Amino acid sequence: MVKIFWRLVWVSLRQQTTYRAAMLAGLVTNLFFGVLRLALMQALYKDQGAVNGLDLGGAITYIGISQSLIAFLFIFGSNDFMKSVSSGEIATDLLKPVRLFTLWMARDLGRGLVNLFTRGVLFMVIFQFFYPLVWPVSVGQVLVFVFSLTISWLLSFAWRFLVNLAAFWTPDAIGVGRAAFALSQFFSGFILPLRLFPEWTQTIFNLTPFPSMVNTPIDIWIGLISGTEIWLAIGIQLIWLLLLVWLCQVTVRAGVRHLVIQGG
Amino acid sequence: MKRLIVLYFRLISIQVRSQMQYRFSFWMEVLSTMLLNGSYFLALYLVLQQFETIAGWRLGEVAFLAGMVELSFALMDMFFSGFDPDAFSPFVWKGSFDQLLLRPLPITFQVLSSRFVLRRLGRIMEGLVIFIFALILTDVPWSALKIVYLFMVLISQVIVYGALFMVGSTLTFWTVKPIEAVNIVTYGGTEMMTYPMNIYPLWLRRFFTYILPFIFMNYYPALFFLGKADPLGFPVFAPFLAPFAALVVMFLSFKFWKFGLRHYQGTGS
Repeated sequence: MVKIFWRLVWVSLRQQTTYRAAMLAGLVTNLFFGVLRLALMQALYKDQGAVNGLDLGGAITYIGISQSLIAFLFIFGSNDFMKSVSSGEIATDLLKPVRLFTLWMARDLGRGLVNLFTRGVLFMVIFQFFYPLVWPVSVGQVLVFVFSLTISWLLSFAWRFLVNLAAFWTPDAIGVGRAAFALSQFFSGFILPLRLFPEWTQTIFNLTPFPSMVNTPIDIWIGLISGTEIWLAIGIQLIWLLLLVWLCQVTVRAGVRHLVIQGG
Repeated sequence: MKRLIVLYFRLISIQVRSQMQYRFSFWMEVLSTMLLNGSYFLALYLVLQQFETIAGWRLGEVAFLAGMVELSFALMDMFFSGFDPDAFSPFVWKGSFDQLLLRPLPITFQVLSSRFVLRRLGRIMEGLVIFIFALILTDVPWSALKIVYLFMVLISQVIVYGALFMVGSTLTFWTVKPIEAVNIVTYGGTEMMTYPMNIYPLWLRRFFTYILPFIFMNYYPALFFLGKADPLGFPVFAPFLAPFAALVVMFLSFKFWKFGLRHYQGTGS
């Protein structure tokens, strides 16, 4: 089973690396919008000290990392699963001796890993030449960041999978996705760092799984949370992960029973 | 000409009716587009409570910039839907553009009337809400002349963005697939115009001043309406360049579109 999983990841990884020009174009776009977002940040922080513990250096780093993670975490959403339902491709996927959840997770991971290096790591390498970024101060911090980011990816996948499952019930799943991904983008802290928001909005954000998808690992990288706070944050990430994965399992079972493959 | 106008409304009304078939899902989409596009401004609004200003621009003034861009870009996105490179490129790679060329109607007219995305209403409404919000928060001494000029600026923006869509579509005659760099200019350019342009690095500002005159489309008119001083030291007529810049950009884009049409060879499909 594990062997099949990594095999699937490898296939998806190979697929993704085929589109080199698209990868480069994506990187350039991310860089360009990164410059814009950072200019806004610098303008906000003009004549202003730290806000809620986040100073300009931290804010710049925050924007840089969140921008570099767009393609890895598919922050704007993904809808390949929906498409496979409406095209009927899902019929062959259901014949495969792998669960739908596992199958799509492997596909997602393959693409995500390629994006992580070509658009994430590369992005940060280029950016650090132009902007004063904050780096982790210890190996431990790096490891915790990687661990937290891994959960972020799992969470992000589970959330997107769940949203995509809407395709089992409505032909207009794209619309559902558009609204759902707008919500997760906003609440995750992608648009602007969550700690810059007023207190009452942060309380609302924290009732959702979304801050665990973007805000948490970045806070760890910048060193905004430390010690037991880190483990608390990771604990919250894990609880949301369990809940979302469970929801996916229940929903996918109900959905497959409900599914009618049209034509063929 | 009259015949074309009648035909245009016929074609558009067909599109509107077909898109309104599923009323509930249509209005849901309008609403979600409104929220989706509005979420960025909402985030800025909430965060500005801790910062007060962006480089000296207060919330209402930034809302003025953002409202203008959202409104005019959404209007353009509705009327120039046919020229959206993402929607236009299938004409080229599927070969259906050849069909259009065979019809006895002007080709630009056909592309313009080929698509009309009504759900852009969501973004138009979002832009309107932000703009009204701006009007409430700022106190501009409005006069009839100023209002006339405001509409001229709005239309100029629509024309400039439309011109970019046209260039993006024309390029697909050669590249078949739409080019990402065009997206950077259209979507990135409008994103830039949402904020005071003096916050951007010099090289970027130069590009959007001398290569593409975006700085005159929104930032300078806003300085004029809001009565703000110009930190960049441009001549006093800078706020009034928008209509001229729009006409020049549209003229050049149209020339390029015509040039592309002359060299269109089809993909053979």
